[in-house]
Amino acid sequence: MDYLLEGLKKAFYLLYSLDAETYSAIWTSFKVSTGSILASLLLGLPLGFGLGYYSFPGQRVCKVLVETLLSFPTVVIGLLVYAFLSRQGPLGEWGLLFSTSAIIIGQTLLGLPIVIAFTATGIENLDKRLKSTLLTLGANPRQVLLTTLWEARFSLLTAAAMAYGRIISEVGISMLVGGNIKWYTRTITTAIALETNKGKFEMGIALGLVLLVIALLVNLVLAFFRRRAHEL
Amino acid sequence: MNYSYYLKNILFAYNKKKVLQIRELFLPKETSLGIFGPNGSGKSTFLKLLAFLLFPEQGEIFFFGERARDVCSLRKEVTLLEQTPYLLKRSVFENIAYPLQVRKEKNIEARVLEAMELVALEPKKFGQRKWFELSGGEAQRVALASRIVCKPRVLLLDEPTSNLDGENTFLIRRALTSLQEKEKMTIVVVSHDWDWLSAFSSQIYKFPLEIK
Ligand SMILES: Nc1ncnc2c1ncn2[C@@H]1O[C@H](COP(=O)(O)OP(=O)(O)OP(=O)(O)O)[C@@H](O)[C@H]1O
Ligand SMILES: [Mg+2]
Repeated sequence: MDYLLEGLKKAFYLLYSLDAETYSAIWTSFKVSTGSILASLLLGLPLGFGLGYYSFPGQRVCKVLVETLLSFPTVVIGLLVYAFLSRQGPLGEWGLLFSTSAIIIGQTLLGLPIVIAFTATGIENLDKRLKSTLLTLGANPRQVLLTTLWEARFSLLTAAAMAYGRIISEVGISMLVGGNIKWYTRTITTAIALETNKGKFEMGIALGLVLLVIALLVNLVLAFFRRRAHEL
Repeated sequence: MNYSYYLKNILFAYNKKKVLQIRELFLPKETSLGIFGPNGSGKSTFLKLLAFLLFPEQGEIFFFGERARDVCSLRKEVTLLEQTPYLLKRSVFENIAYPLQVRKEKNIEARVLEAMELVALEPKKFGQRKWFELSGGEAQRVALASRIVCKPRVLLLDEPTSNLDGENTFLIRRALTSLQEKEKMTIVVVSHDWDWLSAFSSQIYKFPLEIK
């Protein structure tokens, strides 16, 4: 027990004293997850809109596919990205393996199905009269897209929060394609895994606390938007 | 050319169930027209055809002498208030401003205020209300204001007074009449209120249409 308390004390000290190594991992996590969530939203919102708004042949198959991808294990995504980015891989000449860009690519693949699936459902659940209302008010196709997304804003924010929650807490992708390089690609989660293995408990605990706080915030945001989405 | 719409050999069906069949019909322009008829006689469907939201299986629609082709730009000239209107999830003011914004028009604030006065909604009291903070009749008047604010060439209204009290029903009729005269609009109204309709319209079409 003393051992744990001691770890906790040291952990708070690391955070309080702005320990460079600890904050480097936090900063990397922040940078990478921000890039990933933005890319997921940029690609996922229009795709999810297309999937939920239009009816086209193969729509059912697409939806099932996206929903299957929701439960894709992160290590498998890491493995796939690794295979593509490794020197012998098809994208090997980009030289991205073991960089923050590689992690962003992997995490974007992780977040994308979440954003697409929840956007599509959010759009589908909108009032059926919205479409004809926008058309008769004179909106052009681009304005229809933007206004429809805005009408579904609470569902979309829920989607974004869910995706962010998974991205910030994943370890498989960051470890495999980031390589856990100190000062460079070491994120909160990979640092916890490594430092704990090395017996440096306090840093693991410190970073674990930070991760918990982030997860808590994400969940608070999620609960708030869920409630709003239901109220309306 | 003294008509707004010319419908020729129109056939419209929902999944093979024939709803409208029109050999030839001219609708006059720049006047107030009424549509009257029993439930299920195709009135709402007819307005959706005129609004270019639905398309006939057969036949052609001419709009001010031209064959209706580019529906996207035609929809900027015709606007429809549906029977159970939908409000956007934003404030009353923003709901009414929306058609002006999509048309990139100027003077938005003044025009929204003007439209709100026309439908007897106090701007101070209702402007910042959210879409869910309105009674049925208030919501209907917000929806109506967002249709008249852009002063379309053709205004199609599907039972615009169904939720309104006697006073507002009267006010709206007066507002629509003055708008029609001032802006030379063509206004088509579906209503089950025969007295209202006969006071408002220069001509009333009885549905189901008996047109050979
Ligand atoms: N989306 C639809 N799918 C299938 N049938 C429909 C659809 N909308 C309307 N109908 C049918 O088409 C016919 C005409 O409907 P419409 O809504 O035009 O009637 P209406 O004259 O406006 O009636 P009301 O006075 O009740 O509003 C009705 O028999 C209705 O059942
Ligand atoms: Mg109707």
